[in-house]
Amino acid sequence: MTMDRHDTIGAMLDEYALGQLSQDERRDVETHVRECDVCATDLRELTIVMEGLAPDAVTPPPALRQRVLSSLATQPQDPPRISDDAKVVTLPPKGARIRRGVHSGWLAAAALVILAFGAALYFSTASRRLLIEDVQEAQETAADLQRRLDQYAGQADLAVSILTASDMQPIAMAGRENATASTARAYWSPTRGLLIVADQLPMPPPGRIYQVWVIGGATPVSAGLLGEQGSGRGMLIAPPPTGVPGGTVTVAVTDEPPGGLASPTGSIRLAGSL
Amino acid sequence: MTRNSHLQATAIGGPADADLRLVGRLASGDLDAAGELYDRHAGKVLALARRILRDQGDAEDVVQEVFSQAWRTATRFEPERGTVAAWLLMIARTRAIDRLRARRSRPDTTGDVLLDRMPGHTEPASDMLIASEQYARVRQGLVALPAEQRTALELAYFEGLSQSEIAERLAAPLGTIKTRIRTALTTLRRSLRP
Repeated sequence: MTMDRHDTIGAMLDEYALGQLSQDERRDVETHVRECDVCATDLRELTIVMEGLAPDAVTPPPALRQRVLSSLATQPQDPPRISDDAKVVTLPPKGARIRRGVHSGWLAAAALVILAFGAALYFSTASRRLLIEDVQEAQETAADLQRRLDQYAGQADLAVSILTASDMQPIAMAGRENATASTARAYWSPTRGLLIVADQLPMPPPGRIYQVWVIGGATPVSAGLLGEQGSGRGMLIAPPPTGVPGGTVTVAVTDEPPGGLASPTGSIRLAGSL
Repeated sequence: MTRNSHLQATAIGGPADADLRLVGRLASGDLDAAGELYDRHAGKVLALARRILRDQGDAEDVVQEVFSQAWRTATRFEPERGTVAAWLLMIARTRAIDRLRARRSRPDTTGDVLLDRMPGHTEPASDMLIASEQYARVRQGLVALPAEQRTALELAYFEGLSQSEIAERLAAPLGTIKTRIRTALTTLRRSLRP
């Protein structure tokens, strides 16, 4: 990510949030935001602003509920684009490959005729636009998949480099306040970074998120925000924050406003020291 | 650079988490979840559509479209992009503004006639949806904005006008409009922090 790109995209975030960008521009923003914490935080704040601008709720007429719900029952749902638990595609074993022969040749010819007929029908109707949209969507899906792969690969690489670093030391963290039932473990390598995994973490208070701090000297330094993984699990894999002196460190998790702060203000929910 | 890319919409707390679970059930074709999601958000979706379209019938059609789209695309919801509420409101805004644009392109529009008769932003808040403290701060911040900033932002948000269209509408240079909107949004973002 170059600073030029960061600045360009940063200047587009307002228009993105207001829905004023073209599809290509939107995609550029979404790609960048996946890789840039600063812009991701800015966009999250803008999203809250957009929600806040919407007027107060009104009471819908009772009949509308039935009308909406009954219309859903007949509508198909889109297949998932991709997901974290993406399905494994199993390739057939080599021996199972269809043998090319007379029969398969006829079958292929018949299939071609059917395909050609189907395609002619398809193109002869207004469905052509749908086909183009499908292709665009498939391209988006592929690009999205690549982005996620890159993202996960990067995170996995960093995690492995932290866990295998010669200077890595595990730190047991204890829950405090409403998080006494939480179990958490941090793996700190001054050269590679910090990996922290927390379980049974309660939801942060409304309008707050969890932020992770490394305290080596007098001043706590932010290591990043604890990502919610669902079911009370939180995780952060981050390079070493700058400004942490060597030697004994304490790792702590506090609740802070969305986007996090430069220094902690909220209650300590988890903490542990070397 | 991806260290907090998993930060989810759960920043708002419990309700957002409940929404995520509902969208998960929606994605598996659970109609009861659709009902619950409707009960939680239809009031806000209707209010936004009505504020944009100034027409109850059109706004109700938008509500139906929003929940249809949510039903169809729940399988593709990405929590890292924002809350469920933000997602539904974004769909509502897009759908309502599409209708508004279609209406603008029709010369026989009745929208302007209806404009003054429809309840607008002065309607008292319903207790159906508990506005969070942050939303309240945004609303207070909006009211406190200088009039020219508020007008530019409202034209973008409620009427879906591009910055060039706003510049034309207000007979102001495009650069001025960009600055007004950017300043307004920066002020509102700042108001999120206590």
